[in-house]
Amino acid sequence: MTDAAEPTPMDHVRPEPAPRTDLVTGVVILAFGLAVMRMAWAMPTFTDRGGDPFTAPGIVPGFYGLVLALLGIVLAARSVLRGALRPGGGASGGGAFAYSRVSRLAAAVVVCFGYAIGLIGTLPFWLATATFVTAFVLLFEWQDETTPRRLRRIATALALGLATGLAVSLVFERLFLVRLP
Amino acid sequence: MFDNLALLGQAFAGFATPSTLFIVFWATLLGIVVGALPGLTATMGVALMTTLTYTMAPNSAILVLICVYVGAIYGGSRSAILLNIPGTPASACSTLDGFPLARQGMAGRAMGISTAGSWLGTLFGTLCVAIFTPTLGEISLSFGSYEFFWVAVFGIVIAGSLSGGDALKGYIAGFLGLFVATIGQETVHAYPRFAFGTVDLAGGIGLLPALVGAFGVAEVLHVMSGPAFKAVASKIDSVIPRIADVLQYWRTILRSGGIGTFIGVLPGLGEDTAAWTSYAAARRASKEKEKYGKGSVEGLMAAETGESACVPGAIIPVLTLAVPGSAPAAVLLAAMLIHNVNPGPMLMVTQPEFVYQIVAMLVLADMMKLFFGLTLVRPLLWILLVPRERLMPIVFVLCTVGAFAITSRVFDIYVMLAFGMIGFGMRLLNFPMAPLILGLVLGDLLDKNLLRGLSLTGGDPTPFFTRPISAGLALLTLFAILWSVPGLQRRVVGLFRRRPAPAG
Repeated sequence: MTDAAEPTPMDHVRPEPAPRTDLVTGVVILAFGLAVMRMAWAMPTFTDRGGDPFTAPGIVPGFYGLVLALLGIVLAARSVLRGALRPGGGASGGGAFAYSRVSRLAAAVVVCFGYAIGLIGTLPFWLATATFVTAFVLLFEWQDETTPRRLRRIATALALGLATGLAVSLVFERLFLVRLP
Repeated sequence: MFDNLALLGQAFAGFATPSTLFIVFWATLLGIVVGALPGLTATMGVALMTTLTYTMAPNSAILVLICVYVGAIYGGSRSAILLNIPGTPASACSTLDGFPLARQGMAGRAMGISTAGSWLGTLFGTLCVAIFTPTLGEISLSFGSYEFFWVAVFGIVIAGSLSGGDALKGYIAGFLGLFVATIGQETVHAYPRFAFGTVDLAGGIGLLPALVGAFGVAEVLHVMSGPAFKAVASKIDSVIPRIADVLQYWRTILRSGGIGTFIGVLPGLGEDTAAWTSYAAARRASKEKEKYGKGSVEGLMAAETGESACVPGAIIPVLTLAVPGSAPAAVLLAAMLIHNVNPGPMLMVTQPEFVYQIVAMLVLADMMKLFFGLTLVRPLLWILLVPRERLMPIVFVLCTVGAFAITSRVFDIYVMLAFGMIGFGMRLLNFPMAPLILGLVLGDLLDKNLLRGLSLTGGDPTPFFTRPISAGLALLTLFAILWSVPGLQRRVVGLFRRRPAPAG
């Protein structure tokens, strides 16, 4: 693959994160690997009960912790070589996470988590689902519209929410015999 | 030989019922829709359907999953051709020539090529399943703990090296997956590892809730935070594949079928790698290289045949070694385990008929895919026009239902949410996801076989390196690691390449 014009899988992969981001990631992975090793070391070996020392529960996770720590070091070292500590090392190679994306992401996280943690279990499943779908659609479609069209939006969102709630309940409980949360 | 043919015949006869054909109909259609919708991937579709078909009879449930898998990989090319957005990562390669063809007013012809290539690819791969699985099954009977340890390590390493992007991050993702698989009670002493005194964690992290999170929830968040895409409604010419396109490029089809199936057999490499590799090979061998990337029929055919041949290919190691060949195949493996089908070396001994049932399922799914490929054009366009604001909440509801369905634990919903956030974060930092799943699935295999191997020899690791197959796998693993070291690859290739005459 020396031909520069030849397309590679990289064409569809997002741009590399900034070297400094990779440095932080590397350090976090290193810390995580060390923590796993420490916890694995603290696990009992069961040799006092006549257990084979090579079946100790800590061996395999300890090995993974070690590998993760080493890979974390390599990632951190590579990011330093790529200029993480130089001025400008924090700049991304492109495609910075814009403010609008963060706010959309935050909104999606709040609604989804609110549904999965808060609504489910407190309301009947169909009602919780209808509320969630309606809220989700309205939240993301609200700002695109002018006032007169918003009434229609509300109606559509409500209809979609109710349809989803009822359809999912019926299809899964009656047809697939799945227990719903 | 005749026994096998008889088993195959029985498998087909067993599926020739209206209810089975109805399952093939809706599941393949669902797969195509899931694949065509950007943001819904084949892995997610198979994971979600595994949870939702949990109460069905084992054969019907696995049939659903295979149809969804086959359909989704094909469906991805629709959005690749019409929107220039790969519907599944596997179809990324199809955008290169598919979209330029559509822009030249040949969207229908491009879809026809995609249908023909995909159909023939899966058929080729399925033939390989029927021919090679029994033989490979026999070879795998000679595998012991040492060999299985290396198969698992090799899978993680090669998935990390080649699943696209950064190999180092691929290894990290793989080992994170392996680590997550250790959470909960281990098999020898039933000691709860990393449980911190909670009963839920001691029960372990459910594979499917984690997968639904890492693919479903992460995908919902990814789509919602990304820029909106505009669907193009273009005029569509005939989608009937031209015989001339198929006949003219028969060599490409055979080559791509072979490459796709082979890539599928290698653990952890999925349809995307298969498509890219077939595409690159076709381009190298092509007489019309200049057309590639500008609407080459041959290029699109290569990509489509390669990715679709990979589907049956990826199922071969599932059946013979219980090691998945791709991310959706990993979910399929998990589904088989849930339904008490135990794939692996013993499968050809205990349930030889199951292998032929899988062959029959693949053929049925492939035929249904061809049917939908020729008939379903307008409705798929409408589906592509559904705004994400309305689709994603429904997907999230299905994820929640799916995560809960298998064990009815609320804890599984939290696992799904946690893995959704982890998956989203990892994707943002450019970590590939395929090694993570492979780690999750292979964790148990690696754990058990490493400990078993070590206790068999009383702690002596030499058989891991001295038994012939073990040594071969160890060398391959080492080679895969060295290959991904930047600079090293170029130098090695440079050694074998003729040096250019010194300039001046």
